[in-house]
Amino acid sequence: MLNDVTFGQYYPTKSFVHRLDPRVKLLFLIAYIVMLFVANSFYGLALCGLILIIATIAARVPVWSVLRSVKGVIFILAFTSLLNIFFHGGANLLWEWRFIHIYLEGIIFAVFLTFRLFFLVMGSALLTLTTTPVNLTDGLESLLFPLTLIKIPVHVLALIMSIALRFIPTLMDETNRIIAAQKARGASFDTGNIFKRVKAIIPVLIPLLISAFRRAEELGDAMDVRCYSSGKKRTKYKKLKFSGRDIVAALFAAIMIAGVILFNIYGYRIYPQIYQYLVIS
Amino acid sequence: MEELTAKVENGGDNVTEGATAALPDFAVKMDNVGFSYADGQPNAVNNVTLEVKRGEFLAVLGHNGSGKSTLARLICGLLTADTGSISVWGYNPADKEQLGEVRAHAGVVFQNPDNQMVASIVEDDIAFGPENLGVPREEIGERISWALAAVGMEEFRHSTPTRLSGGQKQRIAVAGVLAIKPDVLILDESTAMLDPRGRREVTEVAARLNREEGMTVILITHFMEEALLADRAVIMNRGEIVACGTPQEIFERGEQLETYNLCLPEIGEICNKIKAADIDIPTCLRPAELAAELKKQADIRGFNPRQSARTDDAPDENQAREWDIDISNLTFTYSAKSPFATQALKGVNLHISEGEFFGIIGHTGSGKSTLVQHLNALIKLPQAQKHYKKPRVKKGQTPPPQSSLVIGKYDLSKRKCDWRNLRADVGMVFQYPEYQLFAETVFADVAFGLKNFRPGLSKEEVQQAVKESLEAVGLNYDEVQDKSPFDLSGGQKRRAAIAGVIVTKPKILVLDEPAAGLDPLGKREIMKLLHSLHGDWCKTVIIVSHDMDEIAENCTRACVVSNGQIVACDKPEGLFKRAEELQSLGLDVPVTAKICTELSALGLDLECDFTSRDFAAAVISALGGGGNA
Repeated sequence: MLNDVTFGQYYPTKSFVHRLDPRVKLLFLIAYIVMLFVANSFYGLALCGLILIIATIAARVPVWSVLRSVKGVIFILAFTSLLNIFFHGGANLLWEWRFIHIYLEGIIFAVFLTFRLFFLVMGSALLTLTTTPVNLTDGLESLLFPLTLIKIPVHVLALIMSIALRFIPTLMDETNRIIAAQKARGASFDTGNIFKRVKAIIPVLIPLLISAFRRAEELGDAMDVRCYSSGKKRTKYKKLKFSGRDIVAALFAAIMIAGVILFNIYGYRIYPQIYQYLVIS
Repeated sequence: MEELTAKVENGGDNVTEGATAALPDFAVKMDNVGFSYADGQPNAVNNVTLEVKRGEFLAVLGHNGSGKSTLARLICGLLTADTGSISVWGYNPADKEQLGEVRAHAGVVFQNPDNQMVASIVEDDIAFGPENLGVPREEIGERISWALAAVGMEEFRHSTPTRLSGGQKQRIAVAGVLAIKPDVLILDESTAMLDPRGRREVTEVAARLNREEGMTVILITHFMEEALLADRAVIMNRGEIVACGTPQEIFERGEQLETYNLCLPEIGEICNKIKAADIDIPTCLRPAELAAELKKQADIRGFNPRQSARTDDAPDENQAREWDIDISNLTFTYSAKSPFATQALKGVNLHISEGEFFGIIGHTGSGKSTLVQHLNALIKLPQAQKHYKKPRVKKGQTPPPQSSLVIGKYDLSKRKCDWRNLRADVGMVFQYPEYQLFAETVFADVAFGLKNFRPGLSKEEVQQAVKESLEAVGLNYDEVQDKSPFDLSGGQKRRAAIAGVIVTKPKILVLDEPAAGLDPLGKREIMKLLHSLHGDWCKTVIIVSHDMDEIAENCTRACVVSNGQIVACDKPEGLFKRAEELQSLGLDVPVTAKICTELSALGLDLECDFTSRDFAAAVISALGGGGNA
């Protein structure tokens, strides 16, 4: 089960998207999310989908790795969709039973919401698939730089994040190893009621915690020895630089934002007859 | 020691004549240093006086807990000495103001490569040190290139360290320290967790830096053979330096080493045995040297090799027994049906008879771990899995042969196999089993498996079984039962963890690298323990290892796994005759096989079963030495 966590797993190739400045990618993602929430019709949503498709192709990552990222939110999504279908008001009543009224608008809204959330998660996954954790933290650090003015140690936070990301695969391997070892001693993790299952986690959790603390201590020493907190002013090896590529991406984002806004305003003119089914209220 | 100091002073004079007058006399100088971890505890380092010359390669030897790692931490200022003074490249690590300089001049590589990396990309990780020192950006790039070239890892600049082998990771860790451009490189047991190939990779890097870049190297290790590369070696015991000299002088001390809980490398033991039979050879430390010495003796004494090797006591393969393991056509693919699919096993056929002490050899990624995880169904055969569908076979085609795996009465290809009892009967000890300890007391931890497998047992029965298994691994039941497993020493922890597996009295015991990370004495004790369990406690013992000496000394039979296939399966004497073939697979051969190869190059052919005992006996009888051969 733990192998399914693709989130935060970098997929190494050298594509257009991989080589974009992480700041541009982060801002692009933010713009994309804003677009998702601004779009009020399926036209705008389709445009966002188009962005996702173009980005996936340009990133040259396997489609399944992007699609798989939605696995984690399916449950939440199914739940909210059901709520929306049952309780969303509207004008076109399709079915009713006692206090449950299902309106066409509810179904449209649920579908819309599903796509919106899918696109959101896949977009974020695309960012982590194409950006090394280090680049990502560099990007964040650089974007958050203004916060140093109010005495927030941004580079320390960035380092913490980088280390956390660095240790995710290591600790995941370790977890799998401990699970296998306890299974070999007869532990069972997938039977019994919820209390039994929680209790069954203890023989995995404790060794894992102990190991994490040991690693933290050793890492601290290793960092000290490598002159961390030497008191000197740190430099940065990787300097982020904008290039032509980034301008292309920014232009693309600008056009798409404009597209979403235009669809929002003038979308009803395309197929006025069915527009009521394409817009959410 | 006086003589040494004198020599160094001369060296110092030469330097002052040159332009670099600022260089200190010693790379590291420790004067009467004492340190204790807590008040009232015995000193971890006691009265240590040590002078390391610039450009020297010093090996610090000592068993686990001898204080040698504390020494490294004192030098780099992670710990502060209670008494005495330390000077590193002229700076004092106890002085906060000078600590930065100390660390810029002395870099330390620790034991676990995983826990020394801060970044997920190799070059970013190497940049960490120079970044901290405020080195300009362009120069960091140059330093990364230089450091990667120095450790021979240029092609991995943009890789993720998690996907590299242990030796490669550790070389990246070395590069990360080199990028600081230290004058002194300290390897603090940096080879302890590596396989023999990784160990060689790392020590060779250190030796080359010393030779070509003139870097001062302090190699802290418990592997005596690594000290061979050094100019000088010191031995630490109970926090004190108890011996000092060239590696050769140190090894000549033979039995004395054992009082310091150190072991001679296998080859030294062999020399001692041959010497004991009145054959006059010096203690040699390299196979080629020993072969040359034996050749000299052969020219004097004549050489009449005996005809047959020792009679073997391995059980008869043809006779079927109750707990035989039969594996046929075992195939396994990780992440099947995805682009990342990797075939870990490609049709493995293997028969292991009841009563064997079987070895599985292969390096990381060969598929050996996948193979052993099948043995107690941590990985199930496809047919035994819940959602198995028979592959469709087109007419006229023969269906692909089915994987099958039978262990005693268990048929692991059946979905209804009794998995719980299978796991109780096939015990599995993973690598570094002590990291799986979790319970509040040793008793509870050992009883964990038993309670899982046999929930019906009475309190007394559990107590009895736990007691027996703790005693079987050589722990004192009354002493340890109520202790927290985390308060045990390293070796005791491993024993307790093994007790937690054998408590169900498994018929077959599988151990993955049982001796990994232990010092040579600890290794020997663990192997001794396994031999005592074999027979009385478990019928069959299977060990996974890449230490060929371990396989040659202990196993009745062994197989070599490479690239998901079994490329050889034989008794050690048959297996290691194919030395060249093994080496072409990137595997090592036992030191005895190496000497035999060297000997036959000199025209002396020797038959033996490649245990050091039998090798020495064969040499002695061939040279006609000592009546007791």
